[in-house]
Amino acid sequence: MKAGNVLRIARWETTRSATSLDRETAIAFVVVAVALAAIVPAVVTTGPTPGEGIYRIGVDDDSPYADVAASDPQLAAVQPGSDADVTVSPVGIQYADTAKGRAALSTLRSATVAYNDAVMADEPDQAAAFPVVVSLTYRPQSIDVTSAQADTDGAGSSTTGGDGGRTDTPSTDDGATGTSPTAGASGGGLSGLLGQAQSGTPSSISPPFPLQSLVFAFAFLLPLNIVIQAYGSSVLAERIDRRGEPLLVAPVSRGDIVAGKTLPYFAGAIALVSVIAAATGAGVLAVLAVAPLAALFLAATFLGAMFARSYKELTFVTVAVSVALTTYAFVPAVFAEVNQIAAISPLTVVVDSITDSGVSTGQFVLSTAPPGLAAFVLFGLGTGVYREEDMFTQLPIPSKLLDALAAPLATPRRAGVWTALFLPFVLVAELFAVALLFVAPVSLSIPVLLGAIAVIEEVAKSIHVFAAFERGQYRRSFRTALAVGAASGVGFFVAEKALLVTQLVGLPGLDIGRAAFAPALRGASPGLLLVAPLVWHVVTAAISAVGAARSRLAYVGALAAAIGVHLAYNIAVVVIALG
Amino acid sequence: MGNPRVVLARRTLGSLRSEKTIVLALVIQLFIAGFSSFLVVGLVSLYDPGTANGDALTVSVGVTGNASSDVAATIADDDSRSVVPYPSQAAASAAFQRGDVQALVHATRQPGGRILAAATAPEGSFRTTLVVTELKGALSTLERERRADLDHRLERTPVDLPPDERSNPYFSFTYTVLLPLLAFLPAFISGSVMADSMAEELERDTLSLLRVAPLSLPEIVDGKAIALVGLAPAQVALWLLLLWLNGTHIANPLALLALVAGVAAVLVATGAALALRVGARREAQLLYSFVALAVFGVASLLPQSPQNLIARLAVDSPTTLTWGLLGVALTVAAASYTGLRWLAGGAET
Repeated sequence: MKAGNVLRIARWETTRSATSLDRETAIAFVVVAVALAAIVPAVVTTGPTPGEGIYRIGVDDDSPYADVAASDPQLAAVQPGSDADVTVSPVGIQYADTAKGRAALSTLRSATVAYNDAVMADEPDQAAAFPVVVSLTYRPQSIDVTSAQADTDGAGSSTTGGDGGRTDTPSTDDGATGTSPTAGASGGGLSGLLGQAQSGTPSSISPPFPLQSLVFAFAFLLPLNIVIQAYGSSVLAERIDRRGEPLLVAPVSRGDIVAGKTLPYFAGAIALVSVIAAATGAGVLAVLAVAPLAALFLAATFLGAMFARSYKELTFVTVAVSVALTTYAFVPAVFAEVNQIAAISPLTVVVDSITDSGVSTGQFVLSTAPPGLAAFVLFGLGTGVYREEDMFTQLPIPSKLLDALAAPLATPRRAGVWTALFLPFVLVAELFAVALLFVAPVSLSIPVLLGAIAVIEEVAKSIHVFAAFERGQYRRSFRTALAVGAASGVGFFVAEKALLVTQLVGLPGLDIGRAAFAPALRGASPGLLLVAPLVWHVVTAAISAVGAARSRLAYVGALAAAIGVHLAYNIAVVVIALG
Repeated sequence: MGNPRVVLARRTLGSLRSEKTIVLALVIQLFIAGFSSFLVVGLVSLYDPGTANGDALTVSVGVTGNASSDVAATIADDDSRSVVPYPSQAAASAAFQRGDVQALVHATRQPGGRILAAATAPEGSFRTTLVVTELKGALSTLERERRADLDHRLERTPVDLPPDERSNPYFSFTYTVLLPLLAFLPAFISGSVMADSMAEELERDTLSLLRVAPLSLPEIVDGKAIALVGLAPAQVALWLLLLWLNGTHIANPLALLALVAGVAAVLVATGAALALRVGARREAQLLYSFVALAVFGVASLLPQSPQNLIARLAVDSPTTLTWGLLGVALTVAAASYTGLRWLAGGAET
């Protein structure tokens, strides 16, 4: 790859976009942008209420509740007797015995509280009007129920900032152990951000909003959608009417072309993220943390645009990519500062950067390395099919995927190299599984997780081997299959050692994290510890490779067998390790 | 050979089916709906834990100070809270540190009759939100009781609270957020696919082939638009059916579907018009996203926003204005579609 070529193509991509924009379109963009700039403040100031007038309160004009109904936009006052959901009469308050009637009553109740506070604010004797004044402060509790297990292996972390957290189940609670994880499933508190002391009347106290990271997720990731829209269009446009052909025959490498075409969009994405970071008060670290994620957005879009048969298909691929990646970034970040699981998400670094909580190197690496490496590999796969026979033909997506997977496998040894390169995806998928499952009770989460891991790892070890046999890269013989399988198993084993990075952030401190990433055998000799996983990876990879060499059906069967063996081994290890 | 427009509409739907994109679209919508519901169920169970799982958690509160008897009474009158009195703040603080209690209230009575409540909640825990919500509830009750006691000092009497009846906390969310989301997402996607479809015909130069067929440009636009405008209400009907099976009562389903079809027609016409004028997919698609945002922004400035229209119709609280705005939406839809046909007819010559 030559920097000069890359820059020249990048400049060409930028100027081409600028010049292809005719005057009419450019004016339209400006007009729409100005209109949006005018509309947004108007919408913000009027603050539209989607629930306006959905509950009908039957009330006479002289009743005090008429004023209450007028004070809440969700309530609409109507004449009593018409089809009201709640009717206020001198004898009392009646409500329709429906879900809507009860919801209306409950809304009327909270509206009354707010109305009373507003009335009382005008009273001359404020001590009688607001007879209770609350001052609320937050203080850490030093109990830590899970630390007894977590700290024994020396992997406990002080990286999450704040009070290091897991103070969820005080032992005084009856039955809390069963119910607390369910409450935990719903989110965590960002105490550092929101744990400010408050004081005022009881109704003015607000509990901390636990999903602040949702706001950051949308602020940082939604703008990336605009970039990948444009990028995907640009890549797919090269494939229409063989427009990309002149560039393909030019004396530059495929890598140069892809890098050059991507560079302007990546730079644009980083610029956007930097602007948002500056606006939200996040530092350089936040931009660095989101950069690999932006690259992954672009890489997935690039591969999608190489596979898509039409713009329609590309639209759906783009939406699917952004939904999936937003979820990956968002779900773990919900637990920021509450649980180490949050360290998986780059958004946690963003949150920490905003709150100045400090980020450890290990945490930074864990949150950025997997998406960064995954982006690298996806670009590699896409570049592999950036060639005439794939760009200008129309094939279903699965078939293109097989092409892309088979393309780099020239020798059996390459199978091992690519297995190793798939490891970031394995890591991303497994981390995501951990994030989804860690709130479930251990008795359920660990078996499900072990199953998920077996499936993920075995597919990663064999899917490209299968593709290579299907596309005739390897001779369909038993010996080749064994050699390829062994290479794949060794590649996986070597790359798996990279997983040691998870140890740096104390993820194994969680029971479920340990089951996933550090199933160390107690009492076994170090030699056995090293050799056993190697043998086991080679055996399972060989099983599925032999199936792949035979036929599609045989591959499915052999893969299932390999998953079974893998699962049995994992269960055995975990049972011994966890006692 | 039937009407060429119907043939073209069928072909458009066929290509969506063969590319499996329609399946992907439904999966994406289901995912987004599931995800937002997951968030809300989670949020509600944090603020109002009794609703999420039948057995409520108990928050135990350590109480100290010379007004502790008043505070203790209101804290104890709900099953979800329990009181532990402590003789001194130091003892209470130590118990809080140990985790024996999850919150502290130090209540002191002021000379004017006011009670100062210094509350302490655990920092950075899953249960912080719940603890603060419970404290707030108890102290609000105390505030009401104290106001009643001090009635003689007030010029106006607070309005009595309506009875406290358990209601479904997701009720408002279902009608005002989830349903509008599910209603407008398909319409937005239809417009986007229309822009893709037209831009692709233009970029691949296949429009001329279709026109040899012989089809006029307005007929081609018709064929594609019939398919895509029809697809949006069909998807929404599916969601309405799912919600109905789930026990959510949806009023005025036909009016809802008409509104969705109207919005889809506006967006599809916008997408097609932009693709026809701009010609390139990338620019057309970007402009379409911005224009669609602007259209929704302007519409939300109406006396009843589109989101509100859906909510009112579905929850059975429409006013005359609601029906009027539905009529306006359908008129705008017809107008934008006529505009598109005029544009297509002009582009042909």
